[in-house]
Amino acid sequence: MAHTSVQSVDEISLEKIPSRKSKSLWDQAMENIFRDKMAMTSLIIVGIYALISILSALGVIAADWAVEVGPSYAPPSGEFLFGTDIFGRSVFTKMIKGTEVAMSVGLVAACISVVIGVTLGSIAGYFGGKVDEFIVWFYTCFQSIPTIMLLVALSFVMGRGLVSMYVALGLTSWVNLCRLIRGEVMRHKDREYVQAATALGGGHARKLIKHIFPNVSHLVIISFSLMFQTAIKTEVILSYLGLGVQGRPSWGTMIDDAKLELARGVWWQLGAATLAMMIVVLSINLLGDALRDALDPKLKGK
Amino acid sequence: MKKFTSLLVALVLISGLIGCTKKNKDTGRTLNLSIPQEVKGMDPIYANDRYSSNEVGRVYEGLLEYHYLKRPYTLVPNLADAMPVVSEDGLTYTFKIRKGVMFHDDASFPNGKGRELVAEDFVYSIKRLADPKLQGLGWWLLDGKVKGLNEWRKKYSELPKVDYTEVVEGLKTLDKYTLQFKLNKPFPQFLYSLAMPFTFAVAKEVVAKYGQEFLNHPVGTGPFILPVFQQTKKITYVKSPNFRKKLYPTEASEEFKTAGFLEDAGKQLPLVDKVVVNVIIESQPRWLNFLKGKIDFIGIPKDNFDSAVTPSRTLSEEYISKGISLLVNPSLDITYTAFNHDLKLFQNVDLRRAMALAYDVVKSNELFYNNTALPAQSVVPPGIAGNIKNYVSSFRGPNVDEAKKLLAKAGYPEGKGLPIITYDCPSGTVSRQIGEYVKKQMAQIGVRIKVINNPWPELQKKITKRQVMLYGIAWGADYPDAENFLQLLYGPNKSPGANGSGYNNPEFNKLFKTSSIMQDSPERTALYEKMNRIAADQAPWIYGVHRQNFTLRHSFLKNYMSTDFETGQAQYLNIDSKLKVKVLEKL
Repeated sequence: MAHTSVQSVDEISLEKIPSRKSKSLWDQAMENIFRDKMAMTSLIIVGIYALISILSALGVIAADWAVEVGPSYAPPSGEFLFGTDIFGRSVFTKMIKGTEVAMSVGLVAACISVVIGVTLGSIAGYFGGKVDEFIVWFYTCFQSIPTIMLLVALSFVMGRGLVSMYVALGLTSWVNLCRLIRGEVMRHKDREYVQAATALGGGHARKLIKHIFPNVSHLVIISFSLMFQTAIKTEVILSYLGLGVQGRPSWGTMIDDAKLELARGVWWQLGAATLAMMIVVLSINLLGDALRDALDPKLKGK
Repeated sequence: MKKFTSLLVALVLISGLIGCTKKNKDTGRTLNLSIPQEVKGMDPIYANDRYSSNEVGRVYEGLLEYHYLKRPYTLVPNLADAMPVVSEDGLTYTFKIRKGVMFHDDASFPNGKGRELVAEDFVYSIKRLADPKLQGLGWWLLDGKVKGLNEWRKKYSELPKVDYTEVVEGLKTLDKYTLQFKLNKPFPQFLYSLAMPFTFAVAKEVVAKYGQEFLNHPVGTGPFILPVFQQTKKITYVKSPNFRKKLYPTEASEEFKTAGFLEDAGKQLPLVDKVVVNVIIESQPRWLNFLKGKIDFIGIPKDNFDSAVTPSRTLSEEYISKGISLLVNPSLDITYTAFNHDLKLFQNVDLRRAMALAYDVVKSNELFYNNTALPAQSVVPPGIAGNIKNYVSSFRGPNVDEAKKLLAKAGYPEGKGLPIITYDCPSGTVSRQIGEYVKKQMAQIGVRIKVINNPWPELQKKITKRQVMLYGIAWGADYPDAENFLQLLYGPNKSPGANGSGYNNPEFNKLFKTSSIMQDSPERTALYEKMNRIAADQAPWIYGVHRQNFTLRHSFLKNYMSTDFETGQAQYLNIDSKLKVKVLEKL
């Protein structure tokens, strides 16, 4: 008996949704972003980077990065777009191959940290009490460890390579998102729409995932873009320190090479790596800003 | 109140220093050196790195030293009166100690006056090296060599206090000036260990007075005095006023005679009044200081090599006009890539040879050593007996075709069936590049390599624990004897001994065992050469290069040459102060 009544109420609420008049947050955001030229350019650039890294991962381009194409340290010219490195390999191809590493690290690390941050943050915020205390205690302790030390320790434990890089960066960057989500969920959990869901007999999981999460998801998008570029930068730093990916080009190892080469006047490796990194990090930052402007309800109408 | 006093002390100290520098400018005979690492301290038994042992060698002295102007390196008496009398069986060494050698004046002696050095001081100093409580870092040098010393060490490692008065059979004084060593078995390299700072003479009064602080209060018999050692960027030594009569050598090898090294022959040492050692860790500031004349000589930093040295290996005009000159000399060392011989895979000699042949040593010399090193043919470097002049190993690359044939013969045509081989190397840009280079070279014949960078201590741990397949490393000589290199391949010497690759060849082991108890002789050299050929033929390692030192020196620095054994060198160096004034104006 009770079962049927819940269903019928659900049907009523379902009927109500199509009848909304105002545009949703998402529609509005999309509209704003498509209007913003800077954001669109950034989006296109990030798209190009993504395409390059997919092609490179599939082996369509830059598969021959290890091949000697000319003499050692040939300067940039028509033949060698960004010159060659110590072994006569094309710096341009290495830069492309480095894009694959950077983008994949950014994507995977940001995904890992979003999953951890959102899960822990919403559990803490929603359930409160002892659960909340424990999670807050955990991430406070966790964050008191200097990030770079933690990264170094993790890369020692798991060995070096792309996978441990993903995990290490993912595990070290979730705390801020976790805090944000916890705070937002706390604000939302006593709102009328959640109370309504409770009244209708919705379970915890349903309320959290179906009702609260869509209302805090804009934070996830913004944080994701910020974590994406932080992960790229951190990967470069770690590779520069010799703790990053091994046996394949990365922007960080290119800069590490350049450290010694600069005294010989060989600047092109440093130039190529920093240029590639700067463009993508800048684009993601601009895109993240635009997303925040578009999605943050507090900034609406400005 | 207390603060005020200490401030006052500091002020006095500073003005004292200013006073010193002024006085120093008057005489002008100050040697300015630079070192790239901080010094650990001034205790001989802990001086296990190049920098600390050089500092220790300015204040302390040992029984023997290397003749400053003779090559090949020759041992001569220093605190000993003459070379020791060695018994027939080569087990007993009897030294007469030089009479009238005084320790530096110090408050730990009665009336603050340094007392005379006696044979008992060596017994004490060497026991200190063996002291289980102190854990001296040079113990390996005498481990198992001196009769009764290991037993003495073991006995006191379990007792709370070490008794230095207990007589050890192999380390005794016969009278005030006579010292006798008895060895467990013949060890012809024994004398070299008496020229190393680990066995230098310290006075027990000083150790007793300063205790833990002894590390910072060096009191020796040497040419220079350092009242207190402080961990600063500048260490200043002054000439010892009561240094014994020790003269600049009057004999020299031909190369030094012609180069004018005998100008100061017969003069009382040390030749300079003061030695200032600057600790400059970064290579670029060190380089700039040298160019300004604030440092007398410098090893050329890798990054400045191209600007200082022309492709034909002469100094560039810019520096010649400033009176700077270039010294090139081979150093006694070898770089190599070792196979882990514990693995069945690398017991296959054809595989090892194939990989050795695939490696292009000429190109690596060009890429990583500015074409200045000598490709190694086998394990013994040039300059010591056992190295074979103009010998070319038949397994020295690059010869990719032959390498491919051998790889097929080894059972892995085109590399099929081979696992991915790991290559461990230290972290650091150049090491990583060398690793990438090895990987690239091996890829030519189908051998797949994975490069792993490790921090230096971790790499050593991995080698000791046998967790490596291939690894890249280098070895520098402890003393000028091929034994020091050949022992790297001696089977029983495997990890944790120096033979990290675990190479074990019964024939080689037998030859090594025979030669290790022989005195220097043509027969021993013949054995060394035979082992050297085996080491080339069997390719237990992929040999790298013997490096060369490129050193620049100013014209006003006299008698300087770069040597593999720098301990005590400062006493022979001289500064032409008049010339220095002129040169400094031009710089």
